[in-house]
Amino acid sequence: MRYLAIRLGLSAVLLVGVTIITFVLTNLVPGDPITAALGERAAGDPKIVAAYREAQGLDKPPVVQYFVYLGNLLHGDLGTSIGTRNPVVQDLAYAFPATAELAVFAILVAVVIGLTLALVAALRRNRLSDQLIRAVSVVGISVPTFWLAVAAYFLFFFVLHWTPGSGRLSAFYDAPPRVTGLFTVDALLAGQPDVAGDALAHLVLPGMVLAVYTLGLLVRFARSSILDVLNQDYVRAARAKGLPGRRVITAYLLRGALLPILTIVGLAFGSLLSGAVLTEQVFAWGGIGQYAYRASTALDLPSIMGVGLIVGAVYITVNFVIDVVYGFVDPRVRVG
Amino acid sequence: MHHISKRASALTASAAALALILSGCSAGGSGGGQQASANKTLVVDNTFDLKTSDPARAFELTGSIVDKALYETALTFEGSDVTKPVPQLTTYSMSDDDKTITLTLDGKHVFSSGNPVTIDDIVWSYKRVQGIAGNPSFLLSNLSTGKPFTIEKTSDTTMTISDTVANPALPYILPNPSLGVLDSKTLEENGGTTDKDDKAESYLNGKSAGSGPYQLSSYNATSKVVFVKNPEYTGTAPKYGRVVLQNVTGPSQKTDVQGGQAQLALNLNSQQVNGLESGSIKVAKTTSANVGYLWLNQNEQVSGGVTNDPDFVKAVRHAIDYEALRTVAGSGSTQPGGIVPSQFLGALESDENNTTDAAAAKSDLASSGYAEQTVTLSYPTDATLDGVSFADMAQSVQSNLQDAGITVKLNGLPIATLLDSFRAGKLQAGLMYWGPDFPDPSDYLTFSPGEGLGLRAGWTESMSPEVTKAKEAAIAAEGDARAAAYQAWQKASNADGAFVPLVQAARYAVTNGVTGVTPNAIWTVDLASIE
Repeated sequence: MRYLAIRLGLSAVLLVGVTIITFVLTNLVPGDPITAALGERAAGDPKIVAAYREAQGLDKPPVVQYFVYLGNLLHGDLGTSIGTRNPVVQDLAYAFPATAELAVFAILVAVVIGLTLALVAALRRNRLSDQLIRAVSVVGISVPTFWLAVAAYFLFFFVLHWTPGSGRLSAFYDAPPRVTGLFTVDALLAGQPDVAGDALAHLVLPGMVLAVYTLGLLVRFARSSILDVLNQDYVRAARAKGLPGRRVITAYLLRGALLPILTIVGLAFGSLLSGAVLTEQVFAWGGIGQYAYRASTALDLPSIMGVGLIVGAVYITVNFVIDVVYGFVDPRVRVG
Repeated sequence: MHHISKRASALTASAAALALILSGCSAGGSGGGQQASANKTLVVDNTFDLKTSDPARAFELTGSIVDKALYETALTFEGSDVTKPVPQLTTYSMSDDDKTITLTLDGKHVFSSGNPVTIDDIVWSYKRVQGIAGNPSFLLSNLSTGKPFTIEKTSDTTMTISDTVANPALPYILPNPSLGVLDSKTLEENGGTTDKDDKAESYLNGKSAGSGPYQLSSYNATSKVVFVKNPEYTGTAPKYGRVVLQNVTGPSQKTDVQGGQAQLALNLNSQQVNGLESGSIKVAKTTSANVGYLWLNQNEQVSGGVTNDPDFVKAVRHAIDYEALRTVAGSGSTQPGGIVPSQFLGALESDENNTTDAAAAKSDLASSGYAEQTVTLSYPTDATLDGVSFADMAQSVQSNLQDAGITVKLNGLPIATLLDSFRAGKLQAGLMYWGPDFPDPSDYLTFSPGEGLGLRAGWTESMSPEVTKAKEAAIAAEGDARAAAYQAWQKASNADGAFVPLVQAARYAVTNGVTGVTPNAIWTVDLASIE
């Protein structure tokens, strides 16, 4: 419990740190967000400019703005987006499930395929299949996500017709009634299997693109981690006493290699969220990434703050969960 | 352990196969544009600048497309022709002194709620535009004085809009989708008022309240707007029962329209449309009404004593290779003679002051006090002139000016930063563009000394009395004399002014299997006319 409490406290401090850093950075950007939000004519009218400043709270000193923001934050109010004119909470509630659905799909793809490839590579060390998998891993880490997204969209949608086009659903489907915001889940809950299938199919290509970097990273580290464990005495002993191969892998090899793999998954989640900014632009996904891109190019400070906060919170939460899982997987961590 | 690695390989192969089968089945099932067409769903790709669908607050390109589909206006334009306002909800007549426009309701239109469109709705909608003080509120104010027009109901079927001075542009302002007429009864029930206390925006971003061909089905300012037919619409019913307007970047728009995912792409540039036309894919090309221009600051404290030198300004005008800029801007682009776009009343076909003449440029430069100072040319890095990069245009201008002997340093800035400094009159020189608020040359008088844009370039009234005189003559001109008066004003500005009109880029609408796409300078495209 003490271990959990310490981790939780650290997470809360980190979250406050995120608000400070995001606020300072957004206020350091040269350019007035209000004049960016107004049209040419409106920006020339001092009355309209003053009304906008007052409505957005930008007529107060930055320090006051920060504490007002923090106070509102405690009441669940992240302000109103200059760009969409909606409460930022409402925008994020709409956009976050879209990105979450994509990120979870990507992480599942990366973990399942990545761990399998890492296992194959480690078990067939220095053979052709190992060399090939390592090469694929390096390519996965090196290829820029934006380029990969454009190329994959062109190849699989336009040339090969294997995947559907951009967006979360085909144009002739309406979004399913909103329960979780995850289209695949909501469609199933609404008894619309065709919509669920369409939503799942739309997930495949952007999900794969997003997974490539994490997959490459995971293969590299998991392979190395499995190789370390492979040479441990307890694994040799397990094999020597004739345990079945599957049991050696699941109970000895993977379990022993789990800690570094968990670390990579946690780190990769951050890169997934940043990769989503570019991937969502290409695939017109309508999630946090597309929202963040729009907000940052329009100097929409409340939205930028909101995105920073939610991404920071997700990152901290994921790492908190991993820290906790660490403690359970390896009790020595808790003691330390 | 050999059998274990085999199992792992099989697992990997199965996962990959499952993913591809899943996506392949669905891709086949969706059938791209074919099935969309069968279900009468039209998909339009657009790079969004959408902020709201509330007409009294929207003044962006995407907002105009949206509001044109949802709302009718008192007057409108037919197709691409923005030179002649025609009746929609009302007919109109101008007073002899051009100060007042009288609108007469035709009484045939009905809102999607079933309520009839009344003169009260039009008065209420206009007063709301004024009262909210949002982006488009200037449309119902005098542009010089900022004084709001007087809007009055004069009978159950008539109303008037009056300016304090002659304003022949009034009929040209009213077709703007920001002046779309709202169902006042429905809006008042949902927080709508005609002042700053108005709370109806969120309602309008969820449900529309207009009499246009479509009504709102779903709305997301970042990703997608879905329209469905308005059953109460009294005009010619649109061919598509459902329209999806989605936010897609340029490169993906190209793939979408080629692959049948979208039937119309609105934001492809000249390089992207090159070689695209084939089979069912058609490229419609029009000249954009957005004018790219160069400004040279006339304020001595900002100009460094360089850009405010009349001979230096002349040298710049002659040093620029306008043909090269048209090449940068792509096929279909044009060089306007003045700041008024080529398709509007009062446009200047060409002007000798803005012609490429290397010898004249060198001679003018020699006559000026230029002593090899470096001129800083600012331009936006994250905005384009209808898809044409300002960086490319800036490099072209830099090269031209350096050939003439002028040292230029390029200063690319995010548009929000650039606008901030430009509006404060702090930038020495730069490139920007102006999109029309309404298709009348009076919209461009802001490029006069002492006016809004003029002051951004440090150009005060006392610096160019001849231009001010020509501006006043243009304001006073009536009827057929207006075109000549505005041309004279632009000639005066070109002879002694801070702005150099450079280019109007081409605008492309790429279609796959649809017709009836009619580009319009005010609302880009009318979704209801697409067949």
